[in-house]
Amino acid sequence: MSLLKTWKIGLLARPLEALLRVPDHAFGYPLLRPEGLTEPVQEDLVGLCPSGAFFREGRTFGLDLARCVGCGRCALAHPEAVGEVKRLEVAVTRREDLVQRVDLERGAFLDPGPPPPPRKELALPTLAFREVSAGDTGLADSEIALLGNPFHDMGRFGFSVVASPRHADALLVTGPVSRNMREALLRTYEAVPEPKGVVAVGNEAISGGLFAGSPEVEGGVDRVVPVDVYVPGDPPRPGAILFGLLLLAGRVRQRLVGGVLR
Amino acid sequence: MDAVKEALREGRPVALFPDGGQAVLVVEVGRALRVFRLGEGGSFPSLASDFPSLDWFERALWERGYTPVGHPGPKPLRRHDLPYAFREFPELHEVPVGPVHAGIIEPGHFRFSVLGERILHLEIRLGYQHRGLLNRLLGKGPEAALLLAERAGSEPVAHALAFALAWEEALGRKAPPRAQALRLAALELERAFGHLGHLAGLFTDIGYAYGATQVGRVRALLQGEVDRLTGHRYGRNFVRVGGVWREGRPDLAALAAYREELSRLLPRLLKHPQVLDRMRYVGVVRRVEAEAYGFVGPTARASGVARDLRQEDPAYPGFRPVVRQGGDVLSRAQVYAEEALQALDYALGFLAHLPEGPLAQDLPPGDGEAMARVEAGRGEVFWFVRLEGGKVALAEGVDPSFKNWRALELAVRGEGLPDFPLCNKSFDLSYAGTDL
Repeated sequence: MSLLKTWKIGLLARPLEALLRVPDHAFGYPLLRPEGLTEPVQEDLVGLCPSGAFFREGRTFGLDLARCVGCGRCALAHPEAVGEVKRLEVAVTRREDLVQRVDLERGAFLDPGPPPPPRKELALPTLAFREVSAGDTGLADSEIALLGNPFHDMGRFGFSVVASPRHADALLVTGPVSRNMREALLRTYEAVPEPKGVVAVGNEAISGGLFAGSPEVEGGVDRVVPVDVYVPGDPPRPGAILFGLLLLAGRVRQRLVGGVLR
Repeated sequence: MDAVKEALREGRPVALFPDGGQAVLVVEVGRALRVFRLGEGGSFPSLASDFPSLDWFERALWERGYTPVGHPGPKPLRRHDLPYAFREFPELHEVPVGPVHAGIIEPGHFRFSVLGERILHLEIRLGYQHRGLLNRLLGKGPEAALLLAERAGSEPVAHALAFALAWEEALGRKAPPRAQALRLAALELERAFGHLGHLAGLFTDIGYAYGATQVGRVRALLQGEVDRLTGHRYGRNFVRVGGVWREGRPDLAALAAYREELSRLLPRLLKHPQVLDRMRYVGVVRRVEAEAYGFVGPTARASGVARDLRQEDPAYPGFRPVVRQGGDVLSRAQVYAEEALQALDYALGFLAHLPEGPLAQDLPPGDGEAMARVEAGRGEVFWFVRLEGGKVALAEGVDPSFKNWRALELAVRGEGLPDFPLCNKSFDLSYAGTDL
C-alpha cells in the first residue's frame, strides 16, 4: 500500500506549461489598457491602489508590477483601463522591465528596448541555490520550499537548494533586506564561489514593497548585492519562481519587456 | 501594583505596549481581559523578575525608549545598533548558529552552550527580520493598514482578521454574517495548512520521507482550496475592514476527501516506531513552565494547558480544545494532527452553511480604539488599534510566536545538539512576526 502510494507520487509532477498559468479563480498580473486611461480614471487608480503601484510622471502613466500586491481591485473598478495577464512568465533580468509606462500623448506603451542577453556562465545543466530570507514574512520562503514538492519538482530541471553558500551557484533572496540582515546577506554573497548569480524573489526583494522607505530596511536586494533576475509577486507563485530560475540558467527567453508580455 | 501582580499570578500577559509615556499591560484572567496602565513619563515598574512572561515584552519597550525600573538586565530584541551581551559560561563550549541557516527558513541567531553533545543552555537572539512595521502603520487608512497587518506574521488570515476585528470594534460595527463565516472558514483552512506544514517538516527532520511526502501532498492540495476560496495561495487580500473582499468557491467534496484521507493517514504515521523513537520524551516543556512563561496555542496545549480562544467564541458552539499532557515533540505533533482535522471539520461546516447577505459593509471614517484577539494556528494573535479620523493613530500587534520563543530555549535544555532542528520545528515559530 505504502509502496504503491510512493510510486504514485511520481505521477503528480505538473508539466511546466501548467505551472506557468495563473489559475482561473485567482487574479494574475494587471496590464494597463492605454485607450482607457482618461484623466479621471488615472486619478482614481492612483487613489484606489492600496500598495501604490500606479504613478504619474509628467505625460506618462505607469504601473510598477513590483509594487502590486495582486488584489485585482483596479481591474474590477476600471476594466476599461486595467486588464489582466494570466501568465507567470514575468521574471526579468532588468528592473525597468517590470514597469509599464504609457505615453499619454500617443496612447501607447513606451518600449525600453530589448533586454540585455542572459549571462552565459550560469547556463549550466544544474544549478544549486542557497536561500537567504532577509526580512521576508515567510511566504516567499515557503513558496521556494514548495518548489521542491512533487507537484512543482524543480529537481527535474536540475535545480536544488543546498545548505551552504559554498556549494551554491546562486542566491535566492527574499524580503526587503532588513538593516539587520544586510551584513549577513553580504557575507553569504561573498561566500558563494564565482561565477555566481542572485535572484530577487518577490516584490519586497525587488522594491522593498510595502516597506520601501522604512528606515529599518534597505529597500531591495539590488541595493546590497547585484541582482541577475527579478521575480515579481506577493509572493510569486512557484511557477513564476521556476520561470525565473530557468531565465537565470538561460533556458528561456525573457518575455516581459517594459512590463508587457512580448 | 498588587492588583497587577494578582492578575498576573492568576492569568498571563497578552500584550504590553507604550502609549503616551505609560506602559499599557493587557492581562488575561480567566477568560476576560484586564487592562492596566503602568508608570508615567516613559518609566514604569518592571515585573519581569517575578513574571518571566513579561521579560521580552519589557525589553521591547526598553529598546523603544521606555525604562522598566528594576529589570534584571534589559537587552535589545529588535534593535541591532544597541550592544548585546550573550550570557557566557567559561567552562562550556559555545556553538553559534545563524542568522543564515542550512534550510529554507527565516533568520535568527542561536547560541548554544554545550557540554559534549548536550545542550545546557540556549540563548536566542532575533531582530534580523525587523522592518519597522508598527511605525509604518501610523497614519494609514484601512486598506493600506490591513496590507501591513497581513505581513505581521506568517499567518496572514489570522493577522488580517484580528486587525479588522479591532478596527470594526473601534467604530462599533460588525462585519455581515456571511463575511464572518467566510473569514472563519479561511482561518480554519489556514490553521490546517499550517499544522500540516509543521507535521511534514517534523517528518522531514527525522528522515521519515514517506510521512513527509504524503502529508506534504495533501497539504499542497489543501493550499489549492485556500487559493480557490481567497484568490491567494496564503489567503492575503481576502479579509477587509468591514467584511471580506471576495468569495471564492472551494471544492467542498475535495476538502472532505482530504479530511478523510488525513484521518486515516495521520494516526498511522504518528504511531510509526521511527516517529515514536525520535519524538517521544524529546524537547519537553512542562506545564508549570508553560504557565509561568505564558505560552499560547498548540505549544501550551501540548503541555496540558487547556486554553484556546475559540472556547468562548459563539461561532464554535461546544468547542473542546485539543490537549496533550506530555509536553514533548510527539505531544505537539499529536496536537497539530488532531487540530488539523478539527479545523477542516469547522471549515467544512462554515462553508456548507453560509448565511445569506452581503460580503462587506463600508465603514465611515471615525475615531475610537479597541483590541481584538484571534486564535491562529500558532496561538493567539493580538491587535490593538486607535483610530483618529479613520487613520491609524496607534497600533500594536503581538504574534503568538513572540510569547513562545522561550519555550524553545527551555525545550532543548539537556537534549543533544542534533535534536535542536527537531525541537525548533515542533514549535515552528514565526521570526518576522516576532521582529515586526
